[in-house]
Amino acid sequence: MKKWQIFKQGVLQELPLQLGVFPFGIIYGVMAIESGLTFLQALLMSSIIFGGASQIAFVQLLSNSTPYGVIVTTVGAINSRHLLYSISMLEYLNKLSLSWRVTLAYLLTDEAYAVSIRKFINHSDNSILHYHLLGSGITLFLSWQISTLFGVWLGNDLPEFLDLQFIIPLTFIAIIIPMIKSKSTLITVISSGISALIFKNLDINFWIILSGLTGILAGMASSRWDKKS
Amino acid sequence: MIWSLIILCGVITFLIRFIPLSGIFSSDLPLSVKHTFKYIPLAVLTPIIVNDLSIIENNNFFLIENFKLYAALIAIIVSIIWNNVLATISIGMASFLILSNI
Repeated sequence: MKKWQIFKQGVLQELPLQLGVFPFGIIYGVMAIESGLTFLQALLMSSIIFGGASQIAFVQLLSNSTPYGVIVTTVGAINSRHLLYSISMLEYLNKLSLSWRVTLAYLLTDEAYAVSIRKFINHSDNSILHYHLLGSGITLFLSWQISTLFGVWLGNDLPEFLDLQFIIPLTFIAIIIPMIKSKSTLITVISSGISALIFKNLDINFWIILSGLTGILAGMASSRWDKKS
Repeated sequence: MIWSLIILCGVITFLIRFIPLSGIFSSDLPLSVKHTFKYIPLAVLTPIIVNDLSIIENNNFFLIENFKLYAALIAIIVSIIWNNVLATISIGMASFLILSNI
C-alpha cells in the first residue's frame, strides 16, 4: 500500500466516530462560552489542548471558580492515559524523525489511537503505518475544531443530539473485542472495567490511569495461563 | 491569566503524549516490556466504555433501565460474531434508539 492509501484509510476509518465527536465538540463550545471564556479563548483551547474530556472539565471547573492549580492538575489527570497510548505506540513510531514524532504525539487522542492501534497491531511489519495515525489524527483534529466553532457560535442551549455520543463507546467496543484473544486479555478487560467502577465512584482524579494500570498488572499476572503459541 | 492557564494545560497535555516518543526511552525495549503493551488499549479503553455506560449513578447501580448497557451488550455480541466495526456501531446505536423509545 502507498502512503496516500494508508493516510486515506486512517481518514475513512476515523470518519464514523465523528458522529459522536461532533456533538461533543459543540457541547464543549457552548459550555466554554457559558463559563466566561472569550470566543478566541474557547476556540483556540481546542487546538492548544486538543483533548475533549479535559477541555470540558476545564470549563466546568472554571465556571465554578476553582483554583487554577486544581484545573491544571485535573487536565493533567484526565489526559494521563495518553501516556500509555504513547508508550504502546513507541515500537511503531520510534524510528521516525523528531518532526513526525512531535506531530503524531500532538494528534494522539482517544479516537485516533483507538482506530490506528488496531491497524498497527495487525500490520506491524509495515514501515509507513504512521500515515494511518496522521490520517485519523487530522480527521479528528478538523472535526474537533469545526464542531467547537459551531458550539461557540451557538453559545446558548445544549443541542438535543447528546445521545449520539454513545457512538464513541460503541466504537471502542468494536475495537477492543477482537483484541481479546487470550485469558490474560480477557482478565485485563474485566479487571480494568471493575476498577473503573470502583475508582470513579471513589471520585479519584486519576481513575482512568489507575484502572488501566490495574488492568495491565492483572493481564501480566495472568499471562502464564495463556496457551503458548 | 486565562491564556497562561490554557497554554500551560496545552503544554502538559502535549508532554504527556510526547515524552515516551521523545527518545528518552531506549528503542530496544526488553521483550517482556513489549509484551505488556498489548494490554494497554484494552486496559485504557475499557474504563472509558464502562464510564460512558453510567452503570453507577449517584452511588447506586443503574441497571434495570440502563438502555446504554443493554445496547452495549448487544454491540459486544455483534462484534464477537461479525468482527465488523460498522456493524457493531450501527446495530449498537439502533438498539439503543429502539430501547430508549419503546
